[in-house]
Order: sequence, then structure tokens, then C-alpha cells
Amino acid sequence: MTSQAAAVELPGRRPETGVEGVYTLKLGMWIFLLSEVMFFTSLIGTYVILRFAHPEHFAEPGEVLSIELTAINTFVLICSSVTMVKAFASLQHGDQAGLKKWLLATIILGTTFVGVQVYEYIHLIEEGFVPMTELYRAEGGPLYGSTFYLMTGFHGTHVTIGVLALIFVLTKAMRGEYTPQSLGGVEIVGLYWHFVDLVWIVLFTIVYLI
Amino acid sequence: MSVTATKTDFDLLPFAGEHHEEIPFIRKYIFSTDHKMISRQFLFMSLIFLALGGTLAAMIRWQLGFPGQPMPGGGVLPDTMAPGGIILPEFYNSLVTMHGTFMIFFAIMPLLVGVFGNLLIPLQIGAADMAFPRLNMFSFWLAVPAGFMMLGSFFVEGGAAGAGWTSYAPLSSSGEFTGVYLGQQLWLGSLFILGFSSIFGSVNYVTTIINMRAPGLTWFRIPLATWSLFITAWLVLLAMPILAGALIMLLADQTLGTTFFTPETGGEPLLWQHLFWYFGHPEVYILILPAMGIASEVVANGSRKPVFGYRSMVLAMISIAFLAWIVWGHHMFMSGMNPMLGMAFMITTMLIAVPSAIKVFNWLGTMWKGNIHYHTPFLHGAAFVSLFIIGGLSGIFMAVTPVDIQIHDTYFIVAHIHYVLFGGSLFGIFAGIIFWYPKFFGGIMNEFWGKIHFGLTFVLYNVVFFPMHSLGVQGMMRRLYDPYQYEFLAPLLPLNRFISVTVFGLVAVQAIFAANFLISLRRSNKCGPNPWKANSLEWTLPSPPPHGNFQEMPVVYRGPYEYSLPGAAEDYLLQSEPETGTEGAERPLEPAAH
Amino acid sequence: MSIDNHTHPPYMKIFGILAVMMLAKVLVGISDLPKGLSIGLLILISFSSALLVALYYMHLRFETKKLWLLAFIPFPLVAILILTVIQEW
Repeated sequence: MTSQAAAVELPGRRPETGVEGVYTLKLGMWIFLLSEVMFFTSLIGTYVILRFAHPEHFAEPGEVLSIELTAINTFVLICSSVTMVKAFASLQHGDQAGLKKWLLATIILGTTFVGVQVYEYIHLIEEGFVPMTELYRAEGGPLYGSTFYLMTGFHGTHVTIGVLALIFVLTKAMRGEYTPQSLGGVEIVGLYWHFVDLVWIVLFTIVYLI
Repeated sequence: MSVTATKTDFDLLPFAGEHHEEIPFIRKYIFSTDHKMISRQFLFMSLIFLALGGTLAAMIRWQLGFPGQPMPGGGVLPDTMAPGGIILPEFYNSLVTMHGTFMIFFAIMPLLVGVFGNLLIPLQIGAADMAFPRLNMFSFWLAVPAGFMMLGSFFVEGGAAGAGWTSYAPLSSSGEFTGVYLGQQLWLGSLFILGFSSIFGSVNYVTTIINMRAPGLTWFRIPLATWSLFITAWLVLLAMPILAGALIMLLADQTLGTTFFTPETGGEPLLWQHLFWYFGHPEVYILILPAMGIASEVVANGSRKPVFGYRSMVLAMISIAFLAWIVWGHHMFMSGMNPMLGMAFMITTMLIAVPSAIKVFNWLGTMWKGNIHYHTPFLHGAAFVSLFIIGGLSGIFMAVTPVDIQIHDTYFIVAHIHYVLFGGSLFGIFAGIIFWYPKFFGGIMNEFWGKIHFGLTFVLYNVVFFPMHSLGVQGMMRRLYDPYQYEFLAPLLPLNRFISVTVFGLVAVQAIFAANFLISLRRSNKCGPNPWKANSLEWTLPSPPPHGNFQEMPVVYRGPYEYSLPGAAEDYLLQSEPETGTEGAERPLEPAAH
Repeated sequence: MSIDNHTHPPYMKIFGILAVMMLAKVLVGISDLPKGLSIGLLILISFSSALLVALYYMHLRFETKKLWLLAFIPFPLVAILILTVIQEW
């Protein structure tokens, strides 16, 4: 921060906050996340609207979906958010070992989440809870299946992409490429990860509990 | 006190003064991260699609002017499209669909947002490049496969998408209604990929403009072209993801047997329309705002006067961007939606005319008593204003729900669309290409042939599209292969034939522009940094600017419209010209009257 | 930018709150409360959890007000879409 105090304050120019590249990188990620909010809105909004319009084609929470298993999975994802934030905090304090450790923990938890979800999918499909009309056998109707897999599927895809990004960041961390002065890559992956967690908090409530 | 920045902040940016090794061909021309090269790549891609879209239009007009007759040159088309050169009804549906799709998604949008966004933003704000140059490159290279998918869809079994560019469900849900199977899916996939290209681009534009402006370039000193692109980028960022979701759902309905939009199992066809137009209305403002920005630049430059009401121009664009989100239902007045919504949307739609009108008055105010230089960009800019007025006026009629009962889905709508998209956006694009040609390619286009092209295009364009208002009111529906099968429309054939022949002339005249464009590329055609005597930062650079743009960080002292300052040596004053006494002082704020 | 401990949010405490909220949500979800009340509670709890994640884990709390404004932008749009379209039924 001190080098910036020496810079002449110029109207219209926003100096970097002293950490190389982070400010622009971070701003870019935030802007991108706004578009992601809109994307999930179209999917979740569709579910909300169709369920409101035609509740008879859906089922009550718990009838088809397993609240208990998914609650545990939700907890796993929340834990992964904590490990992520601890990874970033480690980096801020220059603790490289901590960074790597907590990144790895986040990866493991994230992978667990996806794994459990895949397991849940397999179980549901066996019960006849599918997106396609002809093959649907569970409670409610195929619309329930379509909307469920659409929302959770795209969320799961985002988690998977997040895990891949975290692996990429971990590899860079293992090469010592992040420092307290150059932590942009970790911070933006963290932002993305927390966002994905945030979406799940809302999604879990709307799909499994309401 | 001299206004120099410490070097720390700007060390990261590769300014032109830096020594670069020779960049290999493939990194310079193919996989380039230089925003200027990317804008040229978008330019070539979009102009090709513009020409293709125009060709599709000519074929549509052939059918409407000479129904059921063999088209000249139609023999090259396969029998699935036009046996013996006679256009089939299914092919006609594909023609209208793909004409709209090509023009909107692969011509106008990439021209305004991809081309001018990429060229102008870093130059006008004094940056060396975009915030994320590799993401920028990725944006272009995502658009390419999307384009191939669209083109390729003509050649698959069943042909190209045929449900209109609006692809309403359930018509588009199943091939049994349109005869199109794979083509419809390719259409959806292509737009999905293109959406990523747009969204990544908008992330780049917004971040760059917020964070990378040169010292002294406050928000209200940004040229209106960049302002318009900034606001447009926000609309793209927030609207395209909604379309993405809708496209996925429709694709799932088509391929997986899901039922989002099929009524039998609880799906809702109207949901498609709501999602599509929730995206679709901001989309049309995406298609016009950058052209408005360009118009402001060329009109001020040609008039040698500051933009009248610069601040209100900015606020008007921001208001348009806000209101754009609450008017989408006016595309659905006749859909059977809740009538209460119909009334609400009528009111909001009439509201959105206000900021547009403010802009029109400001353009006129800019020209008023100006020392006008009728250069070709100015002519196109003035045409933009006048044709946008007409398009806006027809829009007022359409905004009124009861009136829409009669004119919905008729040629009145087609007239409106083309007045704003061709009269508006395309004339804006012509203005922009000619005005910034030196920054694209280093030379300058020929003024004489530019004026010939302008004059002929302007006249023929109006002859084509103005009568369509009348055709629409008389009941001629759009997207109809054979309107004359209806007795009450049969008398409209002569006028339609006249329009069609004029269209062929209009298309032919574009060859003048193409020739001018291409011939002006020759190496011997060189131009100085500022042939139009304009003020914004791009005009301080060589034509074309080198890699890295600026030799050193520019500093901005004033707004971009300091034309004809009293007492100044010249009738323009560059934004980055240092203060040289009182002449360099910023023009006092305009009186509160506007 | 080095972070001194003053600006370090209490991550574990937030985690604790999130865990409790999650539990509360599940209990409300499986309980027999009247539909309207349970939906209201669930929305309240989940939005509060989401807000906590945004404010503290995504560090919004410590960012400039401008970023708050940017982050807020999509939400009116979300409301407009859902609340308007739902009128159809």
C-alpha cells in the first residue's frame, strides 16, 4: 500500500491496490459471477414458475429426493468453502504449506460433493426419476425430473469446473507461484468457489426443502 | 504541477515503446491477443455474414416478388431447397429464420460489439490493450465454430432451422412441425457457444473501462462511443445467460424428451416466449446503443460542435439500459399472456421512448448551427438519426396494445425492425467503418464513392422499407411463403414485386462499398493520425496504431468534444493536449437548461 | 497487501453460524409447519446464509461500496423476471 501513497492522485485513474494485477483480475471475476447469477436464475426461475403453475406435476420434498443425504452433502460443500477461505488466508500470511494443504482439502471436499451427487443420481434414475417423458416412473411427472436434473446438473458442472480450476491453482501453488504480493489467482478461484457454494445453499432450499 | 504518474502502476502494461521480439505470423494474425487484430478478425467474419444475410434476404424477396417462379441462379440449390430454382415452403421458412439469425447474431452484434468494442475501447481510454487479452482472443475463436455450425446447418438433412429467429416452442420443439431436426439443434448449439463469446467479451469490456482509464479520463470525459459500449456490455452480460438457459431447455426438449415447453406434461410454451424476450428486448438495445454512440461521434465531428447535452446523452443511455428490462412483454401482446401484464408493458414501453427521444433532440441540437462538413461518416450519422426517428415512431404505434392487435406479426413490424436495424444500426456501422478505417487499416476510404454508395443506399433503402408500413396495416403477415393465397392480399403483389426489384438494386449497390473498402486496403493508401480532426485519444496515434498503442501513458485534460472553442487556434482540441494557457481550459459546464 | 489480524474475519465463527442455519433449515423443511410459514422461514434462512458467504468469505464486507453496488445489480432483474412471469398463472 505504501508505494501507492507516493503516487500522484490523478482524477479518473484508479491505481492498482498495490498487489499486482489482483484488482483488475478480481473485478473481472466479480463481473463474470454476475452473469452466472443470471444463468442460474433462468434455470431456477423456470423451476419456481413451473412448479407454481403446475404443482400436480411435481412432488413434495422428501417423497422422491433424499433430504438427509443431500443435507450432509450441503454440509460438505459449506466445509469446502471454509477450507478455501483458510487456503487464501494462509497465502495472505505467507504460509505456503497451509495454502497447499487447504487447497487440497477443498479439492477433496469438492470432489466428494460431486461424487455423492453422482451416487444420488444413479439411485434416483434406478427409481425411475429421469428427465425424459417416456421413461419416467417416480412420483410427480417428467417435468419434475427435467427441472431437477437441469438445475442440479448445471450446478454440478460448475462444481466440477471449480475442482479442475482448484487443481490448476494447486499445481501453480506447488511451484511456489503465489505470494502475498501476487495472490490474484487464488483469490479469484476462491470467489468462484464461494459463489458455487452460495448457489447451492439457495438451490438446496428451493429444490429439497420447499 | 505536471501531471505525471509514477511508473509503478503502469509497469504492467505493454506500452508501444517497449521492445518486442518479432511476433510469429500465427500469433500476429491468427491467434492474436491484440485487440486491434481481434477487431479486424471480427470485422471480416461479420462482413461475410452480412453479405450472406443479404443474399438470404434477396431470396426471400424473390419469392415475395415472383412467387413460385424459378429464381435466377437458383439452379445451384439442391432439390431439397429449391427444385428447378423454385423455392420450397420449408426452405422459405429456413430463409426467414436464418436471415434474421445471421443478421442479428453474426452480423450486427459482432460488428457493433465485437468490432467497435475491441477497436475503440482501449484506444479511447488510453490503454495498451484490454484487461484480459487472452480471454479476448478466446472470445473471437468461440464465435468461429458457432458460425460454422450455423452455416453447416443448411447442409444437413432437413436443412437449416425453420422456426423463425425467435424459435417459438412448441413449433421448434419437434421436427415433425417444421421438417427440421438436426438443423434446429445446430442452431441452438451455435447460439449457446456464441453466448460464451459475448459474455466473456462483456466481462473484458466492463473491467477494462472501469479499471484501465488513463489519468484524467474521468467518467464524464469518456467519448460516447465507449460509453455506449460500456452500457451495451452490461446488457450483454446480464441478458445472454438467460438466453443460454432457455436454449438448453429447448435443446433438451428436442433431444432428450424433456417437457419444459410442451403442455401435455405441465410444460409451458409461454415460458419460452417470456425467457426469450426477457433476453430479447435487452438484445435489441444491444443492437442499437453502440450505433448511437458512433452516431454521436460522427455527428459532432461533422458539425464541428460539441455533442449537445453530453451528460444527458449518457444518462439517457443508462435509462434505456434500465428500462430495457421491463418492456419485454410488448413482443408478446398477442401471445395470450395475462392482459394485466399487457397493460403494464404498454406503459413501460411508452416510457422507454422518452430517453431515445432525448437523444434524437440532442443529435439535432449538435448539428444546429454547426459548421457542418458533409463527410461520408457524417452523412451516415445524419441518416442514422432520421431513420431512427422513423423506426422509433413506428415503435410508438406498436407499443399501444390495442393497435398491436392489428399490426402484430405483419409487415408493419418488419418495417419497424428494419428501420431501427438497417436504418439505425447498419448506417451507424457504415459510419463507424468509414470513420475509423484509418485506425483499422491505415488508409482512408474514398470520399466520392463513399458518397455515391451513401446516396444510393439511402434512397433505395427507404423505397424498400417505407411501403412495408402500409403493407402491414393492410394485413400482410410476415414469415408467410405465399401471402397471395389470401384474396385480400393478392392485390399487394405488384407493390411487393416493386420492393423486391428495388432490393436487388440495393444489394447490388453494396458492391460499391465493398469495392471501396477492399481497394482502400492497398499499401500505398496511407493516412495521418487525425484525418477527421477529432479529439479523442485514438486520433493521437499513428494510423494504424502500433502494438501496445501508446508510446507512453497519455494524460487527459478535457472532454472529447472540444470542437470550435472560441479563441482556439484550430476548430478541435485533442483530449490529451496539455494546457497552454486559458485556451486549454475545459469548456464551462453547459447551462442547466438541458 | 498484507492482512493484519484486525481485518481478518472470524471464519470459523461464520462456519459455525452457517452450520447451525443449515440444520435449522432442514428441521423446518421436514417439520409440519404451515406451508406459507415454512417457505418464508426457509427463504429467510437461506438468503441469510448466502449473504454471510458473500459478505465474509467473498470479502464483500471489506470491499469498496462500488463493488457492493455492482454485486447487487442482478437481483432486481431476478425479481422482475420471476415475479412478472409468475403472474401468468
